[in-house]
Amino acid sequence: MAPKKTTGKTNSKPKKKLKQIAIYGKGGIGKSTTTSNLSAALSDLGYKVMQFGCDPKADSTNTLRDGSYIPTILDLLREKGRVEAKDAIYEGYNGIYCVEAGGPSPGVGCAGRGIITAVQLLKQQNIYEELNLDYVIYDVLGDVVCGGFAVPIREGIAQHVFTVSSSDFMAIYAANNLFRGIQKYSNAGGALLGGVIANSVSSGYQKSIIDDFVLQTNTQVLQYVPRSITVTQSELGGKTTIEAAPDSEQAKIYRELAKRVEAHEVSTTPVPLDPLQLRAWANKWSDQILAVERGDVRSAGAQI
Amino acid sequence: MTKDFDGDVLDPNYINLADNTCPTREQRANGINAFNGKASELVEKAKNGTLRNCERDFQQNSGCILNFYLTVRVATIRDAAMIIHAPVGCSAPAAIYREVFRRLYTAMNKPMDFDFHWLTTNIGEKDVIYGAADKLRFAIEEAERRYSPQAIFILTSCTSGIIGEDVEGVVNELAGKVKASLVPIHCEGIRSRIIQTGYDAFWHGILKYLVKPPTKRQDDMINVASMLSYTWQDRVEIARLLGKIGLRPNFIPEFAKVEDFETMSEAALTAPVCPTYTDYLSRGLEQEYKVPYFLYPSPIGIANTDEWLRTIGRMLHKEKEVEALILEERAHWVPKMDAIRRGFDKVKEANGGDFQVMGSLGQGRLVTQTPFFHELGVTTPVALCQDFDELLLEDVEHLLKRVGDFDIIVNTFQAAEVAHTARKYNPDMILSCPFQGSAYKREKGMTRIHALRGDGRKWSAQAGYAGAVACGSFLLQATHNMAFQNTMLAKTGDPYKEWWYQQPDPYFFHKKSDGREEAV
Repeated sequence: MAPKKTTGKTNSKPKKKLKQIAIYGKGGIGKSTTTSNLSAALSDLGYKVMQFGCDPKADSTNTLRDGSYIPTILDLLREKGRVEAKDAIYEGYNGIYCVEAGGPSPGVGCAGRGIITAVQLLKQQNIYEELNLDYVIYDVLGDVVCGGFAVPIREGIAQHVFTVSSSDFMAIYAANNLFRGIQKYSNAGGALLGGVIANSVSSGYQKSIIDDFVLQTNTQVLQYVPRSITVTQSELGGKTTIEAAPDSEQAKIYRELAKRVEAHEVSTTPVPLDPLQLRAWANKWSDQILAVERGDVRSAGAQI
Repeated sequence: MTKDFDGDVLDPNYINLADNTCPTREQRANGINAFNGKASELVEKAKNGTLRNCERDFQQNSGCILNFYLTVRVATIRDAAMIIHAPVGCSAPAAIYREVFRRLYTAMNKPMDFDFHWLTTNIGEKDVIYGAADKLRFAIEEAERRYSPQAIFILTSCTSGIIGEDVEGVVNELAGKVKASLVPIHCEGIRSRIIQTGYDAFWHGILKYLVKPPTKRQDDMINVASMLSYTWQDRVEIARLLGKIGLRPNFIPEFAKVEDFETMSEAALTAPVCPTYTDYLSRGLEQEYKVPYFLYPSPIGIANTDEWLRTIGRMLHKEKEVEALILEERAHWVPKMDAIRRGFDKVKEANGGDFQVMGSLGQGRLVTQTPFFHELGVTTPVALCQDFDELLLEDVEHLLKRVGDFDIIVNTFQAAEVAHTARKYNPDMILSCPFQGSAYKREKGMTRIHALRGDGRKWSAQAGYAGAVACGSFLLQATHNMAFQNTMLAKTGDPYKEWWYQQPDPYFFHKKSDGREEAV
């Protein structure tokens, strides 16, 4: 029997392209703030968004839900043998789906394994397809401390990684570590790097430091986000800046970020610095800042 | 040399019972499990600090520090229960020993009250995430309810170690609430590649949680940590010999009762059967309770048994009794040994003047078995050794002086390496370790080095004078019957290609110590 010829046409609808993004960065650097505002801004653009908190302290989605905590996947799993993904999904601002992986009590068990279990639970139940999502944004705990926290960038879960970093050395150090993780998995279908979201960048030299770091590591700055009291006020009210102060300058910046994420298509493999290179790079900046402070040199970044 | 803040030299053998567990053998004694060369070279490298372990790229058979004979030893303690805090699979390797120990009969005085009292917490995914302390608590209470044991041993695993389970926290919480003494043993497989670390961890738990301060001295009691590969008959022989000079052995840990551990501090002496196995316990009992000890020699072979008894005599001021005993025993046993030697002389004559033996030896056997082979008049061109550390350095040096240099392959009895070595040296007889790699398909001789306590008959004895004669007879008998090898050759194929045997180095699949991969 001759093989059946295909016409190239199918009856099913073209599959919607789901964009999965992982946001990493040093603890306390503003990942959850940035992620929540990004989710809010993307949903304002008409997209269906899920924000997936991958931090055992389970507070990623607070500002999308008026400051309230939601039961985590691992809370539910602790109580029951089987967890329906839908039981762990709560709607927040503008219909954003909020999920928290959660984790064990502090000091016991293995939080990394918890993230693996939580991420796989949602993946196995095909919930993203069922909800017809446009974006899933994973907000992941600070550093890539173990295999568990690398899960969103492994195994083809997220396609793009953005890292939130200030110009502080420890934040850059954490970002560089993340780049090493991305590089490691880059040949095995892992996520690639979309770029750096430069947070709390308010002065010229801070911008110059970040600019130089992305140059050295062959990536880009997606958006500069200055430190703003509007963010603090909104968060104290349990809301994102997008929701609490939609007309503010800061909200405009987050909307710009969302548009850039929307337009972003191609991520790349970063070129992380090895520890000695990173140390030498930091020392060079230390000298330069000292010179700027003394007035010997005027940085190019000081023009912004 | 390690020093503390005040510049005092830290004794690497000091046992700190405030710690949860022992150091690894790698840390304490530079333990290795891969070496190929002359015994003199091994000693030299160990002495000048250049001995380094190397990585295997190919490994067929091995055990972890939980399962390489630790679980099976703990499981024999009669009035105790054992909890393996691990996924259920970690318990499986020891289960076979229920069958092995059934080969010992109560008619041989195996205790009637022996049975396995054994639980696993079966750590699963949820336990990994949230911690498995609740399960461990439940298992301890369940062990108490089911068995009313005097002690409950909690053996840790890779999984409990990786999640940082606070076993001591659970033990402290339940101590006093359950009647049994709780003894955590840190034998996480990932801790160490040297299986002796598991035994040290066991003795650390025993010393810390079970041994009681002495209420009296028992001047006739000698602690003997009998290793698993010695046989039931060896216990009988050691008890017989000590009994003749008014002493009695306190055999631990196999088939012992918890009280036997608790009263070890009251003993007059700790004597070795296997020095590397007994080392940590012996040092600990001396350090904490002033129980003297010696580590060499073990009572294997006629000369070593003489010396073992003499050392006990010297330490317990029973020199005269011991000399009389040696005379009496020699009169009975040496003629039998001479007959065995004559038997081997005939075998040698038919064999062109020599008879070569290659044995799979633990560290303890390395220093005891080789002189015994010499007593039989057979030679050992090469010794296969499970692992090696510096605790036995002096003893191996001593051995070199006695028997001369020989080749040594430290290799955890890797099957492919054993087969390669067997082909290369082509000895007349190979003595294999049960359940470990060996070379069974050969035209020359093949038998066992021991039976892992699975054979309680008299011919399986190895220790003392009776053991020397029994073991010699066993070996001689093995030269007379080639049916096993002939059947293996006729009915089964060789598992390795000829290419493998042509490689000049049995360590072909090793990475060099500097991390370089060996050329393929």
